[in-house]
Amino acid sequence: MSSIASSARGIAWQRRRRALARAWSQYRRHLPGMIGLGVLVVIVGMALLAPVISNHDELSPANTVDNPTWATPSEFPPLGTDNLGRSVWAQFVWGARISLLVGLAATIIAIVIGSVVGILAGFYRGIGSALLMRVTEWFLVIPFLPLAIVLAAVLGPSIRNIIIVIGVTSWPSTARIVRAQVQTLKERLYVERSRALGASNRQLMARHIFPNVSPIILANLTLTVPIAILSETTLAFLGLGDPTRASWGKMLEESFKAGALSRDAWWYYLPPGLGIMAVVLAFTLIGTALEEILDPRLREQRR
Amino acid sequence: MKPVKLLAAAALVVLVALGMTAVATAQSDDGEKVVLTVGIPETYDSFNPMVGVEVPDFDVWNMQYATLTDKAADDFATIPGLAESWEASNDGKTYTYTLREGLEWTDGIPLTADDVAYTVNRARDEEWPNYFSTVQNITATAIDDRTVELTSSVSDPKLPIMDVYILPKHIWEKYDAKAIKTYDGVNDVGSGPFVLDETKRGQFWSLKANPGYWDGAPAVDEVIFRVFTNADTMVAALKSGEIDVAHDIPNNSVEDLRNTPGIVVVVGQQGGFDELALNGGDGLKKPHPALLDPDVRLAVAHAIDRQTLVDRVLVGLGTPATTISPSASPAWIPEIPESEQIAFDLDKANQLLDEGGYKDTDGNGIREMPGGGEPLDFTYLVNTESQAAPEVADFMTGWLKEIGIAVTPKSMDENRLYTEIGNGEYDLFQWGWTPYVDPDPMLSYFQCSDIAKEKDGSYNNDANYCDPEYDKLYKQQNVELDPEKRQAMVHEMLTRFYKTGVYNTLWYEGDLQAYRTDAFEGWLRQPAEIGPVIFTNTSPTYANLTPIASTSDGGGGVSTGAIVGIVAAVIAGAALIVYFVRRRRTAGERE
Amino acid sequence: MSFGFVSRKVLGALATLVFVVCFNFFLFRVVESDPVGNLFRGRNLTEGQRLELQREFGLDGSKLEQFARYLEQTVQLNFGRSYTTSEPVMSLVWERAWPTIALVGVSTVLSAVFGVLIGIVAAWRRRSKADYGWTGFTMATYAMPDFWLGMLLLVTFAVTLGWFPVAGITNAGSDATGIAKLLDQAHHMFLPALTLTLAYLGEYALVMRASLIETMREDYLTLARAKGLRDVVVRNRHAVPNALLPVVTLIAINFGFVLSGAIAVETIYSWPGLGLLTYDALRGPDLPLLQGLFLVFSAAVIFFNLVADLLYAYLDPRVRTE
Repeated sequence: MSSIASSARGIAWQRRRRALARAWSQYRRHLPGMIGLGVLVVIVGMALLAPVISNHDELSPANTVDNPTWATPSEFPPLGTDNLGRSVWAQFVWGARISLLVGLAATIIAIVIGSVVGILAGFYRGIGSALLMRVTEWFLVIPFLPLAIVLAAVLGPSIRNIIIVIGVTSWPSTARIVRAQVQTLKERLYVERSRALGASNRQLMARHIFPNVSPIILANLTLTVPIAILSETTLAFLGLGDPTRASWGKMLEESFKAGALSRDAWWYYLPPGLGIMAVVLAFTLIGTALEEILDPRLREQRR
Repeated sequence: MKPVKLLAAAALVVLVALGMTAVATAQSDDGEKVVLTVGIPETYDSFNPMVGVEVPDFDVWNMQYATLTDKAADDFATIPGLAESWEASNDGKTYTYTLREGLEWTDGIPLTADDVAYTVNRARDEEWPNYFSTVQNITATAIDDRTVELTSSVSDPKLPIMDVYILPKHIWEKYDAKAIKTYDGVNDVGSGPFVLDETKRGQFWSLKANPGYWDGAPAVDEVIFRVFTNADTMVAALKSGEIDVAHDIPNNSVEDLRNTPGIVVVVGQQGGFDELALNGGDGLKKPHPALLDPDVRLAVAHAIDRQTLVDRVLVGLGTPATTISPSASPAWIPEIPESEQIAFDLDKANQLLDEGGYKDTDGNGIREMPGGGEPLDFTYLVNTESQAAPEVADFMTGWLKEIGIAVTPKSMDENRLYTEIGNGEYDLFQWGWTPYVDPDPMLSYFQCSDIAKEKDGSYNNDANYCDPEYDKLYKQQNVELDPEKRQAMVHEMLTRFYKTGVYNTLWYEGDLQAYRTDAFEGWLRQPAEIGPVIFTNTSPTYANLTPIASTSDGGGGVSTGAIVGIVAAVIAGAALIVYFVRRRRTAGERE
Repeated sequence: MSFGFVSRKVLGALATLVFVVCFNFFLFRVVESDPVGNLFRGRNLTEGQRLELQREFGLDGSKLEQFARYLEQTVQLNFGRSYTTSEPVMSLVWERAWPTIALVGVSTVLSAVFGVLIGIVAAWRRRSKADYGWTGFTMATYAMPDFWLGMLLLVTFAVTLGWFPVAGITNAGSDATGIAKLLDQAHHMFLPALTLTLAYLGEYALVMRASLIETMREDYLTLARAKGLRDVVVRNRHAVPNALLPVVTLIAINFGFVLSGAIAVETIYSWPGLGLLTYDALRGPDLPLLQGLFLVFSAAVIFFNLVADLLYAYLDPRVRTE
């Protein structure tokens, strides 16, 4: 504690900083969580370094005319080539960018919509809130894949549309969790005290509800990203991904259509699947670690 | 009982079930019928001969409907079909055909000259798309039940061939001019060696033998065409014996199949080609304004590396092309000297665009219209039913980018592709044709009159390009009886068309097929030695095949499965016995 | 279960269905501009024919009139005609429904059974090597794209080893009937069913494990142990049946969702069900067919969610007093 903060807000921020530090030291002790974090750092690092560790030109078959086709990783390190001579390693590394980008962007959209809806529905009572929850439940019931397919078929395949499609179909579960949490929080004493002191609804939501709901939202985010990534993979495999960009799902689609299965070109269909597995597991481990840590955290704050 | 044991028992039960199914499959056989199974990666669009345009339709028509004259399997020579003989009049414009005796449709109604006259005259009057170019000048008269006279108003090099499908009048007269356009053509009344039996569009269609076929009942009882959405799976099915012959096998599988014993690969040449077509600008909707500039068209044409496409996309199984191929016979393709060909030359393309004033003013790598207008972004239609089209699109996107042109791809199936092209809603597309033997039909498609006249209407001119000089040459060759003069005219019109850069033929390729040698024999290549075995001009193979010994279901894969099954069953049985014995022993410990 | 409770749940489900139907209309009709042109491409229609067809398909009149006619047609289960085959969408869907139901049904049963067993083992031996092992295994299968797992199984068992057929549901054209035909179909179903089973058993295992751990903390179990009953018996006779409750409802819910999620897996195996139909419809895109499939999938999920709700209430008296 270095400076003496005189305002109430200053104290609150200090408390939060300490809480964060505590959370981090707790997290560090959680082995699976650390493994997940490590894996994620490696993969994100690989994706960010894509221009350095691979050649973007090798993604277009017009530029790989001199490469052998279907080369094994030993013939053409590090991951061989596909049926048109494109470098599989380049596809893997640049594809990581798209898969991660879409997963993250779609999740952010889903989380934002879900949180706003959840907070509003949980905080207010009455017709509006009930209607919001009804709509949420309706969207929960619509099966994700057919809805995503329909939207993608109608909107057309592009990065932007895929992000929108996944984001728009994934928000309901966040909304439900956030709403439940907000309803619990509303009954907390300090909320009542603040209201007695004359705080407006908006102030309440911003200063008290939201900061206490954010841990849940964070945990939910880490568990939604893998779902979003798996969704992008499936949509790309079905041919609804952006045809101009490499992604892991697109690699699987192309390997399937080019006959990698019957000629056992494992270097083409194994890496993207393993990459997806790694990212999904990483986020899942991080998410479960966060959940375990944040649960007692919430209990602590309530005191 | 511990859940782990329960887990193990459950797993064993599943294994036993598997074993039983494997054994059962090994034992089940096809019964007494001789069945030929054909694998194909695309489905038919219509079995109505006046409407259908896609390759799978034609084989069915060849099997169900006989024609007046037929074509020899080895060299397309004209031989008797429904007509056993014919005579020419003095001026050569009238031919009198004598039909065979005792011809019958499969429902027992006699096949007479009436059916011939009805088909020809109606096709001409209603301008049936698949028939019109052949019958447009012909009038048919039935003299008696077995004699029919065909008179042409002009001298016609296509007489006496008349290879249009003769339809049963008593079935087709029930559909008036409007109804016939939406009739799907699925019925079992025909005169060919087989007639339609069951159709499940998108999955399979089957034909049954016609015992009353004039050339003798076929040895095969049933022919089944099975659709495979994944061509790779089709190859695997061929190798395992689930199908007897496969059409349109992926280029990637050819080498592997050639090395598989018991399978013969056929690269059947019958004049097939693929083209990268630009929107010629004379259709219902104009393309991107840049494409109306002939220099821009040439620039795009110069950005096509045909050799690379053949090497990479076709895995070497094709030849780079110049003009379209109007016939199964390559003699109709003109020899264009290399200096006059539109070669792969990105520098030349860039030069043409620079000189045309298409500069990249905002530095994003894409040129704009002169004066800084619309960026050059072309809509490229990608055929999802073609193995090659998406790959070619990948290459073209790369090359066009290097000359400063962006591409917006739009994927669709052939149905929708046909509509979008007709409506002019595109800048580029890739598709292909398989021509007939006589070049006339193929040539007729590119006349000005064959451009789509109304939205979603029918058409043949998918170049959307009108050249009155081409039309003039077409009409000349249509009535030219001297073969050499006719060939010269055809060469001239094809070269003219080629040089515009609107319709860029990418390659001449054969149909890639493969068949098993252990099930049937009598595979006929049409034409002999170089043609394909199925989906040929008159499909003579089906009626010619005879079975080899008795067909056993499956193949090597199943017997391994049977062994696995038996072993699994034995293990499962032993485990169950052990379980029950132990259970009795521990009964005392239960509550 | 009171009639009031049941009817409230059923009405709720119907309301959701109505919402989906309306949503469907706006999604498609507002975007797809020319269904008639698409259905009759290549046939030269006169203006009169076009108007007549538009009336037949309910495309004339204001958007409101179109909507009314759409509702009417939907109630009659008329979902229009496929662009690709011109056949009625409903008959196409009906034809291809049972292979998917068979595949998903078998997979659901198997994944529930195996998942529950794994969950029991993991919960009972909590924090042991077995627990970590099984949990790790289920997490791994959950993290895989289900169709990628299908690709691996296909390559190993069908392509390389040849133990199973590579595609389809039967050897087309074979005249096998009765038991032989059934066994042939089962033979074809093995790999796709295995894929779906492995893909989804993780969920059951995790839920069962959590539920069982929760249940084991309950007081009445302590009482049972105090009475001197053996561990195994306590677990199997008391804990497990009560812990199964959430799993039962999960099965019902999952059946609806997996029905619509098996699209990629059916594609890998060319399994001729609703999933492959969806994949093929995407090639066009065959919008009427996609629209009909979307409705069918949604209706299935709504229906099975309702079943799950009612089942849960039936099995757990505590819920009914809501």
